[in-house]
Amino acid sequence: MIGLISDIQRGSIHDGPGIRTVAFVKGCNLRCFWCHNPEALLPRRQLSFNPGRCLHCGACERVCPSPSKCQSCFHCVDACLAGARTISGCERSATDVVAEILLDRPFYATSGGGVTISGGEPTMQADFVATILGECRRHGIHTALESNLCCPTATLDRLLPLADLIMADIKCMDPQRHREATGTDNATILANLRHLGRLGAAAPPLIIRTPIVTGFNDCVAELSAIAAFLRELPPLRYYELLSYHPLGCQKARELGMQDFAQPLPAIPPSRILELANAVANQLPCPLYLNGKPINQLETSP
Amino acid sequence: MSTLFGPYTDRIERLKTRKREQTLAKKKNVGFANEDDFGIVLPPDTFRFTFPAVDANGFFTGIANWATNYAALLDAYPLHYDADDIIAGKWMFILTRMRTGYTLSKAPFPFDFSHLHQEQELYDLTTGIGKDAHFAPDHRIGLSLGWEGIRQKILRAQAEHRGDAEAEELLAAEIVVVEAVQRWIRRCAACDPEPGSERQRINFKLVNDPPSSLREACQWMAWYNMAARSYNKGGAGCQLDAMFRPFYERDLADGAITRDDAAYFLACFLLNDPRYYAIGGADAEGRDTTCELSFLLLEITHELKTSSNLTIRVHRNMDRRLFRRGVEVLLADRLGYPRFSCDDTMIAGFMRNGYSRDLAATRIPLGCSWSIIPGREYTLNDVVKINLAKVFSVAFDEIIADGDPERYSTEALYEIFLKHLQRAVKCIAAGLDFHLAHQYRNESELLLNLLCHGPIEKGRDAAHGGVEFYNMCCDGAGLATVADSLGALQTRIEQQKRVSWNQCVAAVKADWQNDQGEAIRRFLASAPKFGFGGSPADAWAKRISQDFTNMVKADRTPGGRIMIPGLFSWADAVRFGKSVPATPNGRRAGEPISHGANPDAGFRHDGAATAIVQAVAGIQCGYGNTAPLQMELDASYANGPDAVERVMALFQGHFDLGGTLINVNFIDATTIRAAEKDPEKYPDLVVRVTGFTAYFIMLSPEFRKLVTSRILEEAHE
Repeated sequence: MIGLISDIQRGSIHDGPGIRTVAFVKGCNLRCFWCHNPEALLPRRQLSFNPGRCLHCGACERVCPSPSKCQSCFHCVDACLAGARTISGCERSATDVVAEILLDRPFYATSGGGVTISGGEPTMQADFVATILGECRRHGIHTALESNLCCPTATLDRLLPLADLIMADIKCMDPQRHREATGTDNATILANLRHLGRLGAAAPPLIIRTPIVTGFNDCVAELSAIAAFLRELPPLRYYELLSYHPLGCQKARELGMQDFAQPLPAIPPSRILELANAVANQLPCPLYLNGKPINQLETSP
Repeated sequence: MSTLFGPYTDRIERLKTRKREQTLAKKKNVGFANEDDFGIVLPPDTFRFTFPAVDANGFFTGIANWATNYAALLDAYPLHYDADDIIAGKWMFILTRMRTGYTLSKAPFPFDFSHLHQEQELYDLTTGIGKDAHFAPDHRIGLSLGWEGIRQKILRAQAEHRGDAEAEELLAAEIVVVEAVQRWIRRCAACDPEPGSERQRINFKLVNDPPSSLREACQWMAWYNMAARSYNKGGAGCQLDAMFRPFYERDLADGAITRDDAAYFLACFLLNDPRYYAIGGADAEGRDTTCELSFLLLEITHELKTSSNLTIRVHRNMDRRLFRRGVEVLLADRLGYPRFSCDDTMIAGFMRNGYSRDLAATRIPLGCSWSIIPGREYTLNDVVKINLAKVFSVAFDEIIADGDPERYSTEALYEIFLKHLQRAVKCIAAGLDFHLAHQYRNESELLLNLLCHGPIEKGRDAAHGGVEFYNMCCDGAGLATVADSLGALQTRIEQQKRVSWNQCVAAVKADWQNDQGEAIRRFLASAPKFGFGGSPADAWAKRISQDFTNMVKADRTPGGRIMIPGLFSWADAVRFGKSVPATPNGRRAGEPISHGANPDAGFRHDGAATAIVQAVAGIQCGYGNTAPLQMELDASYANGPDAVERVMALFQGHFDLGGTLINVNFIDATTIRAAEKDPEKYPDLVVRVTGFTAYFIMLSPEFRKLVTSRILEEAHE
């Protein structure tokens, strides 16, 4: 089973509990304008160019068969010794991915960690992801699925038995605004969340996050609406607010994805703390802010 | 505000303020010091001193001269009192650094070792010849005998060794030393600005008698520390919880002190000198030795938040609460303490040298990278090193010397590297024998001898047969530089065939300044490195470590001494790098070699802590000396409800896989960047440089840059 991967990160502490290995599959069906993993959006290999590493030696130009329009032949990558040109994304077998996941096995159980399949959108490569999750399960490794849940419920149902934890976003509650922000309305996402709610204890534990983006959802009313929805669901493990960060912009520039290359205004720490405090008592579950439980916060996140 | 010090809280705060002022004064007057804080303070500006016994060269050697000059220094030593401090005295001098014009070549060795010079220089060897200290006293001797008891012991030995010239010379010098220390303490007591105080009473008592209370024990050990530091910066810490436990428990049981009193006494003691102290650990039967005092010492360190070198000994049967609390303190303070060592691997490793478990369990971590049997073992730990990167560059030069590309291959290069490494190890061994034969005449260990088992009894210096065990250090430095170089050549030339040997050789020899040189440098530098996991460089690192270990363990020195291999550069990665030309891992000529046993910065794009933990665990030499893991953990590791479990899992994982010692920096990128810009604004910022912590402000700009870049690399900035 072969899949398209954008990256594998070992020793991660940001994508689920404990110490985890995170496999980022490549290809996503949403186009969130704040995306911080733009390299995982397109379901194909891409040329990435870092001008800071370019020595202007001209080697790439000498091997390029189509200077006017890139044909993704990647001859220029082979020619670039300086490493300014690289390929974003690679095809890897599930066996190979699992072998890399197993490297950090000594740390999973003792830290409460495991593997997280993220993206991109994992459900777009459901067979590949199912193979990896199943194999990890066989090795006794805790499995987490980080999905936008914008997928057929049947696809989700196929993966649920293989996941020990689901992490998903609610970006906003209004369908139209969701469409404007991501290219797709949120009907499928909310339906899948309700489906998970109905499954109750038969579904894996759930963590919901909301990325707070200036001018989009950085208001109490929006978060209150999300909180109201969460109250309809069985108790979550926790709900988390994540401050927008511009780390994806540089990657987008290198990939020539200009739509994602401009940083958005940062959320002031005081503002996100204000939002967290405003929504905390409306929630049916613990609230986290940027990785910390709200009760662990001091004066700023 | 903590209640740990109870009514003494304000005093401790004032002592901390004074410590901060002392750090700033040292920075202003002395400049940079790329070493421990040590607790040393500046003498008064008016202090002047002339040695009574110097030779025509202006320096001094020989046992009697050392004793005479040392005694004169103590007789002139400025006294120090602080109304808030139970400890009288601060140390201000290091005799070894006061020898004007001293060089090793002028040392009075009866035999020259010029026959070793060529290879010592060729391989940039740190030979240990003429080096001092770096082993540990058994403080129980001092705490049980007191200074007069030690003096009487020497007098008895003198009577036994009449006619033995070497013993007579040594023991006469030891008497001079001990009597000088006694005069120093007596003078300090007599001049105490608080006549009739408990401090004065204690110091009058300690002139002769051993301590009988916790407070007296603190002052006694502080006197020994100051005396030993003032001699040659030597001495060492101890298993502090075990050492003070009888006093602590007896005083509490008798109602003589409260826990507040104990915390205050111990805080004063730890502020006096942040030596390497161990807590917890396993005894010979594997039983845990953690006690109430272990926790108290950890909490005091946590409250003081000053430079500290406390080590928690982790083992499979330990009280996990001490491990957990140590990690909590590490995460909360983010000042590089405590460190964590592993009894299980260190004991098993030391036993492979042919020693019993009973003996191995007494070997404890008391130095930057090293463990030692207090009072019974002499090692030259941490001062004997082979610059593996320099050895590699010699091999590289040899294989390219005839310009025949047919000869080029990583296997052929490695064979030549091993040939030169063998010569380097043999040169080290010969140097160790030379040192052990003659060092006692150059600089005898007059202070450490006092608290060792054997030197006084036998009338022989610890460096000349006085102690029971001689397990001589032989560390390799720059492992990653060599492994990455071989890995890059294998990956980029032999496997991928993207560049040729000739192109690579030309670029390396031109220090990457030739046509295409920079492109080739970046290409080689981006090859998978040691630490990536499963890379050719990882395989080379294991192979180098194994071959180095086998070479060191294949034979004893010609004089029959055991050598024990380790992998550690101390803070010398910068100095070592200066002698090494460009290397095929993309390193430029003169740049630092890799630090300690660590992978080079940038070893993985994700900087995975799990990868570095496994990499360093996988290249241990396995004979009881360490290949320490130096971790620069992303500050976000301290976030979240499971932060402690995550870090414990990393540490335990490292030890389970064979790791020996872990040093951690836990500083966020913002703080370190701001501190580098304006160090004076951060007089309290403590960083772990290697095995030791230091005030950031006291580091030279070059070292600050090294520490800063390590932390920023790990933070992906």
